[in-house]
Order: sequence, then structure tokens, then C-alpha cells
Amino acid sequence: MAPSADPETSPSISTTNTDLQPFFLLHKASSRKPSSKTRRRIDLSPKASDASAQEYNDNSRFETFKLLWSNTEFIIKDVLKNLNTTVFDGIDKWVHASFDAIHACRTPDFTTATSMYPIPNNVPIGAQIFTALLFTKNVESVDDISTFDDLGAHLRSSGCLVANLTSIDFSAKNGVGGCLKTLLRQFLLAGIDAPEMSILASWYNEQENYDKPLIVIIDDVERCSSSVLNDFILMLSACLYLSVCEFNLGTPAERMDAVIEAVLLRSFQSVNIGKHVSTFLRNYFLRHDGTLTLFVKALRIATAQQGLDGENNLLREPAMKRALELPSLQRFCETRGNCIDWVSALSELKRLHQLWSSLVMCLYEVGRYHKISLLDLYCEMLKLKLQNFGANDLNLVEKDYTTSVHDNQSPGCLQDKGYVVRAFQMLRDLSAMELCKILDRWEMLTRGIEEIHEKVKELQSQITLEVKQSRHDLRKESKRPAARTYKNDKTNNSTINEKVASFLQSMFREYIQSIESIPLQEIIFFDNVDNLNTALIGDPRRRIQADLLESRKLLKCSCCSKNDGVLVPSMHDTSIMYTLVQEHGDLINVHEWFHSFMAVISNPPLKAKKKLRMSPSPKKRKDSKEARTKTDASIQAVTELQITGLLRMPTKRRPDYVQRVAFGL
Amino acid sequence: MESNELEEEEFGFSRNYFLAKELGGSSKKSARKASDINLVDEQELREAYAKLEFKHEKEINNLVNSYRKSYAEWVFMLRCGFGLLMYGFGSKKGLIEDFASTALTDYSVVVINGYLQSINLKQVTVALAELLMEQLKTQRKLENYLKNQQPFHTQSMDDLISFLDGPHWDDGESFVCVVVNNIDGPALRDSESQQYLARLAACSHTLMVASTDHVNAPLLWNKKMVHTEFNWYWYHVPTYAPYKVEGIFFPPILAHSGSAQTVKTASIVLQSLTPNAQNVFKVVADHQLANPDGEGMPLNNLYTVCRERFLVSSQITLNAHLTEFKDHELVKTRRNSDGEDCLYIPLSSDALQKLIHEISQ
Repeated sequence: MAPSADPETSPSISTTNTDLQPFFLLHKASSRKPSSKTRRRIDLSPKASDASAQEYNDNSRFETFKLLWSNTEFIIKDVLKNLNTTVFDGIDKWVHASFDAIHACRTPDFTTATSMYPIPNNVPIGAQIFTALLFTKNVESVDDISTFDDLGAHLRSSGCLVANLTSIDFSAKNGVGGCLKTLLRQFLLAGIDAPEMSILASWYNEQENYDKPLIVIIDDVERCSSSVLNDFILMLSACLYLSVCEFNLGTPAERMDAVIEAVLLRSFQSVNIGKHVSTFLRNYFLRHDGTLTLFVKALRIATAQQGLDGENNLLREPAMKRALELPSLQRFCETRGNCIDWVSALSELKRLHQLWSSLVMCLYEVGRYHKISLLDLYCEMLKLKLQNFGANDLNLVEKDYTTSVHDNQSPGCLQDKGYVVRAFQMLRDLSAMELCKILDRWEMLTRGIEEIHEKVKELQSQITLEVKQSRHDLRKESKRPAARTYKNDKTNNSTINEKVASFLQSMFREYIQSIESIPLQEIIFFDNVDNLNTALIGDPRRRIQADLLESRKLLKCSCCSKNDGVLVPSMHDTSIMYTLVQEHGDLINVHEWFHSFMAVISNPPLKAKKKLRMSPSPKKRKDSKEARTKTDASIQAVTELQITGLLRMPTKRRPDYVQRVAFGL
Repeated sequence: MESNELEEEEFGFSRNYFLAKELGGSSKKSARKASDINLVDEQELREAYAKLEFKHEKEINNLVNSYRKSYAEWVFMLRCGFGLLMYGFGSKKGLIEDFASTALTDYSVVVINGYLQSINLKQVTVALAELLMEQLKTQRKLENYLKNQQPFHTQSMDDLISFLDGPHWDDGESFVCVVVNNIDGPALRDSESQQYLARLAACSHTLMVASTDHVNAPLLWNKKMVHTEFNWYWYHVPTYAPYKVEGIFFPPILAHSGSAQTVKTASIVLQSLTPNAQNVFKVVADHQLANPDGEGMPLNNLYTVCRERFLVSSQITLNAHLTEFKDHELVKTRRNSDGEDCLYIPLSSDALQKLIHEISQ
């Protein structure tokens, strides 16, 4: 409770002073500084007392999180930045070309320079504002917050003066003055009380700024107030002519695949997610959210929850003990004669993860030809049971995957075949040229993984030779009838394709184990989908209703739990009130509702009645007083329902009815 | 399989809706009036309510105490950069203030009571900036910054936020914590307040813990706010604790509308209003005290006086204040003999004097 709250002495309306203050200081930071304190303690003796041991644990958890997450975050930022580099370079070229165009028609006269910007000087080009429209293709602008920051940084590095504005700066409330203020704040790096265009003009004429292009980046332009935007453009130029140029960024799916590749497949020092979590996130991405931001946040929550479980910090003794009991480690040890060898288990884990990742990437290279996304492939690969994976088993895999991973009705999965199976089929249909390209990519992807790399190179040289040979044959046979040549060509090709496909299959058989059999996988792959779901999304609408309808479960009281499903007077008032609501239509007559409530709380079932009589009540209240209390309880219950927003209150038009807002859990 | 569940769920929704509609349509609408219920005065109600014994007090205490073992996890999530959002039925004010005062002692904590009618976020931000400044001063990390420093209350919101979001002078452990009771409360429901709260939460030197009670609270935020600024980590913590203070400001549905106001409730409501609104109320009160037998203050007179005193700038603002007064039954209207609408306060002169005295303190 709040320190000042004292129910004993509180006035008739039990509110304390702080309750009615819009805000108040609860307490100031204790003088001890957390970080230095903990460090000192760690140095001295980490287990001096329970409290310090706890603190030590907390800090080491936090350090684990920080390490893992900063790594993951860095990778994600880097990947997204690289993804946009080509577009950014294009914009950069366009900026300089446009600036040169302005420069070419500009007179070096100071008076005109200060009079207006950019200098119109009766030359059409001077009256143009060179405008680039950057199409983001995202579902929500949230995915592109960093894109525009990156663009700003990119342009700054190539010698431009940049200001990043967003739609908030173009609000009708602040008007054009508001966005000019932000603009000056960003260009001049100082707050200015009376923003004016001339300040910007004279600043621009300073020596160090004069020869640099001025760039204004406006993020999320659709949400800007159009009149403010209009005024802003008018202010920049006397003429409303925008010279527009278009650029396009990648789609969310492309970004998602790039992030999965970098974080989940290529990096060993970042968070990894298991099959349930990955499928959950995939479905949420495709069906509900569509933003990369949510995915990144989910990874962050996964990292934090993993840190909290503490199992991935093997240096700590309790975690180590727990880790010893992990089934995956025990299985691994059994194969090695039952001795627990941490180093070999960890290096085995790393090796298998690398092999697994590179083979997934190899398969993805093929899948790309048929627009299979890495997200889909990744989820399916995690679920794959590969013990008996072979040429004849493709059908088995196929059966497995039509029903479990992908339900056909969902928008993301229109195909009724598993992605892995489809990718393999595709491998058999590719042309010789495409096959050679894929082998080149495989050669690159498997670099550093000795087991596969050599074999890929071998296959590559073999296939190149065969392709050359077949071309040679083709030329020889060109004089023969066309139909035969075609057939021959096809058989040739298909034998090559078959070779490549069976090579990849053998690699799968040999090196890919199902995730469950990788030692220590429980530590590496975060897979607690329930925890993630509640932390990430929350579900107040359903949960609050469930709280009310199932109060006995959560309160665990002895009095109400016995009468399952029946309203008893001992139940929480609001809970009774809301359960009664369920019996009504969308409109509830307040009078009837109130009386059914009174009926419930005044008619205790026989058992409760007995108890009531037996209980040593100090004094019997008068009936009227009791009735009054009940009315008060009902009124409070309605107020509480009002706070949760589950009811709409009576209006002037229907003064005797409240309206239901939620129907069903 | 999963899609079946989903489908069923969706079907369930629509079925429930139509069943409810049908119920409402087919059974003849009851003509019984809410006013038929033998009701009590709001004041009596509130007094009785304060004395009301709550069911399951022991179980509620056990439930709330059971969350204590999660405090360590909550602190951890805060340190990981998440904002904590507590939801579930029951007042969570006690719970999160207890959490803040036991587990967040390393940080200064400011509590915002979102259930009140008026909250000035600028003032909150100034207070936060001052606390942070104090904290950094003790750690002597600000020597360069202090030189050209204006006092915080003269700075703009943008400056304050950029101070709170300032460069990391330290190893990233200087935080001020904002606890928001009912972040979906009436005064914070507009998008501007939520934007400011989101920007505050996103600052590098602030932590945020908030509670929400309304089932539609997530509609207040867009994806940017939820996932990058507030960065919510949802916790379902039903307490079943009574909404004592949170409920004060809801006009009660079942109370007698004709009943007399009393000083205590009126002063609670008035104190939660803006100073300007309080002053408008005082104008009406002064008029009534000066003319105890009159029919009330004509609306036009009120407008003229308020304009003269720079309390309102237009009829619209005055009407907004009056609607607020009428909703809480602080002021009522009646026609005088000239046919003018007159405003009066349904309190006796003594009570009114007491009220004015209380809110002037």
C-alpha cells in the first residue's frame, strides 16, 4: 500500500492526500548507487548473504541479457541498414545532381540569397523544390523509424545538411510555426523562440554551410496536416511546383527474411527461437500484425525471458545443475559413454547449429526461385523430423506438413505442400544455368564449414563439367530432328538436377538432426510461447471478462468454489453483477438487473445460511440497514464495471438501460 | 487445428452478439424505470461505501501478496528496457505503489494518478527533470551541462524531454521512475497526453510502470507507441481490490439525481478540476452568496463576468466547464421569471461558504 494510506484513520471517503493529487513524489532514489554497490559486493564475496546473492544473480542475469541483446540489436540494425544502402545511394546521387542543377542557375548575389530560399531568380529551376518520394511498402510506419534516421545519417555523411521531421511536427495545433521551429532546432542545433525563415537563410549563407545541399526528410507524410504541409512548402518556395522523383524500399517480408538470416541463422551469439515460438510469430506476422517491429520486440522479450530463466548462464552453479538434467544433454552424454563433457557438448551444439543453418540457407537459395520466404522455411525446418529423411520419404514429410505447421485456410499458406518438399521439387525443375548459379551461392554459403564446403566444391566442378559437356553434345546434335534434341536435352538436364537434389538430400540426412536431439537445445532455443504471448500482446478484453466470470478460480476462496457455476451471495459483487449481465441482451434494464442482483445476494443457499446463523456476529443489523448496504454494494459494482469499460451507461435517450459492450470471451 | 479454434472463436463472437441482440429484441423491453429503485443520495452512498465491508478481504490480500514474489522479475524487465503494463480486474494502485516503494528504492519514483480529471504533464515532466538533475548532481556527472542551464519550469516540453533522454553521462543506471495509475484514465485519454507519456517512457533516463483497467485501453496507442516507445511488457495481475478512489469521479448510475450535494464530494470534484474551472465555479458561488434569495446567476451574466476576469475566452469554453459541473451536479439550471436560464448551486449558504473555503486553501 502507499505509505501514507491508512485505512483506520481515513475520513469517511477513504482517500488520502496523495490520492487526490494529480501527481506526487513517492520517494527519492536511495543514496546508494545500484551499479557501483553491486560491483563492490561482487568483488568482495558474492555469497555473503542471501540478499547479496540475489543481487549478484540479478546482475549476472542482466549482464547476460545486455550482452545477448546488444549483439542481436546490432545485427538487426546493421542488416536493415545494408538492405537500404542501394536505395540510399540512389537518393544521394539524386540529391547531388539536383543541387548541381540549382547551383548552375543561381546568381551569387547576397541580397537575393537572403530574400528567399531557394533563390527563384525567375529561372524555372530555381522555383522548384526537388522532392523525392520514398515508398516504404510497410504495413505500419513504425517499421521505418530507423530507416529515416539511417537515411539522414547517410546523407549527412556525404556532406548534406539534414533535418528529420515527422508527422507530429506538422500538426494543425502547432501550425507551420511548429515545424519551422523543429527545422531550425535541427539545423542550427539551438532552440529559437521566434522562428523565422530569414534565420535559416542567414545561417545557410555562413561560410561553412553555403555549398552544401539542405535536405528536409519528412517521415510518415500521409499523416501530416495537409494545410500545414502546404504552408510549409509555400514558405520554402514562392511557387508550388514540386519536382518529384520516386524511390522504393523493400517489403516487410524481405526485411523479415534478412533479419532471420542474420540473427537466427548466421549469428551464434544472439537469441534463438524454437519451433512453437517461431510458428506463433510467423502466424502473427502474416495474419495480424505485419510489422517487423513486433518481431524484433518478441526477440527482445525472448532474450529477457531467457536471461530470467538463467539457464543460459552456465557459469552459475544452480543453472549448471539444472542444465545437467536437460534431456538433450543426457541423450548426448549417453552416446558418449555417459561422461558429462561441457566443452564437447557446447562445441557440438555450435557445430550442429552451423550445419543446420547453412543447409537451411542452401535450401532457401532454391526456394527463392519460387518465392518461398525464409520465414516459412525456417519454421518448417524447425519442426522437421529428419531421422529417416531420404528420397522416398519426401512424401512422408509432405503428409506431416500439410496438417501440422500450415493450416491451409490462413492467408500465408495457400500451398498444400510443405515448403521443404516444394523447394526440393523445384531443384529438380531448374535449368542448367540456374543450377550453376545456385551452386555458386552454395559454395559461398558453406564457406568455413568444412564438412559441406569441400563436397559442394566437388559437386560444383562436376556439374560445371557436365553442363559444358551437354552443351557440347547439344551443338553436335543440332543437326538432328528437333523433337529428339529437346528430349535429349531434357533428360540430360534432369540427370544433373537429380544429382544436385540427391546431394542436398544426402547432406540433410547426414548433418541435419531434428532440433530436439541437439545437446543443450533447451537453452539455446527459446520456446515458451505462452509466456511470450502474454507479455507481448496482452489481452485485456478477454482477460478482464474472464477475471470477472471466474473470480472464484483466482481468489481461491473456500466459500464460493464449492458452488461451481451457481451464483452465491458470497461471490465478489462485481463478479455477480457481470455474470447477471450475461443473461441479458445487448440492453439491460437497470431496474431488473438491480433486483436480480439483490435477489442473489439476499438468498444464500441453505449451507451458507446455516453458516451465517452459526457465525458469531457481534450484533444483528437492522433489515433496512442491511438492504442499504446491499444497494451500496450494487452501486459500487456498477461503477467498477464502468471503470473496466464493459458497460455503456444510460443516456438521455435510454435513461433506464445500460448497454453491453462485450459479447463472449 | 489452430485455424479451427480461431474460426470457432470468431463464430463464438458473432453468435454471442446475435443471441444478445435477439434477446434484446424478442423479449418485450421492460418498461421499468431505474428511478423506481429506492435510491440513496450520492453523499450518503459515498459515506456508506467507505464503510462497506469487502468480501474476500483475506483472499484478496493473499492474491495481492502472491505477486510480491514477481517483484524481482518486474524490476528485471524494467532494467531490460520494457515498460510494465499491469492489467486485470481490481484496483492495482496499492499493488504498484507497494512494488515501487519496496523494489524500486534505487530510483526516484513519481506517481501520476490518471483517474483524476486534470493532470498537467508539463508539471510532471518538470518534476522528473528536477529529480534526475538532483540525482546526477550527487553523482557529479553534470559539470559541463550545468553552466548554461535555464530553470526547468521555463523550458519547453521538447527541451525537458531531450534532457531526460539526454546523452548517457553515466553507465546507464541513473533513472527516474514514473508510475501511472490508470494510464487510460479520463484526463489521459486524449492522444496528445498519450503521445507525451510515450515520449517520456521512451527517454533513456526514465522507467515506466502503468496500470490499465479499461478493456479497450490498447486503442489509445498506435504500434509505434506500443512497441518502441512504451515498449510494453504486459502483466496480468487481477487483484479484485475495490476501486476506491478510482470510482469517485464517475457520476454514479444509481444515485438519486435530485439529491443534495454535500461539501465533501463537491470539494473533491472541484479540486480535481483546472484552476480556471474552479474560478468559474467561484463566480457562481459568489453571486449566490451575495443574493441568497435569488433564483441564481443568469447565464449571460456569468459569461460577461468570466470574460472580464479572463477566465474563459469563448462561450464554448464556458459551456465545457458548465457541462462538467452539471455532470457532477455541482450546478443546476432553472428559469427565472424573465425566462432566462439561471445557474445555482444546490447547497445551503453555510455549506457553500465552507466549500469555497475548502477549495481556496
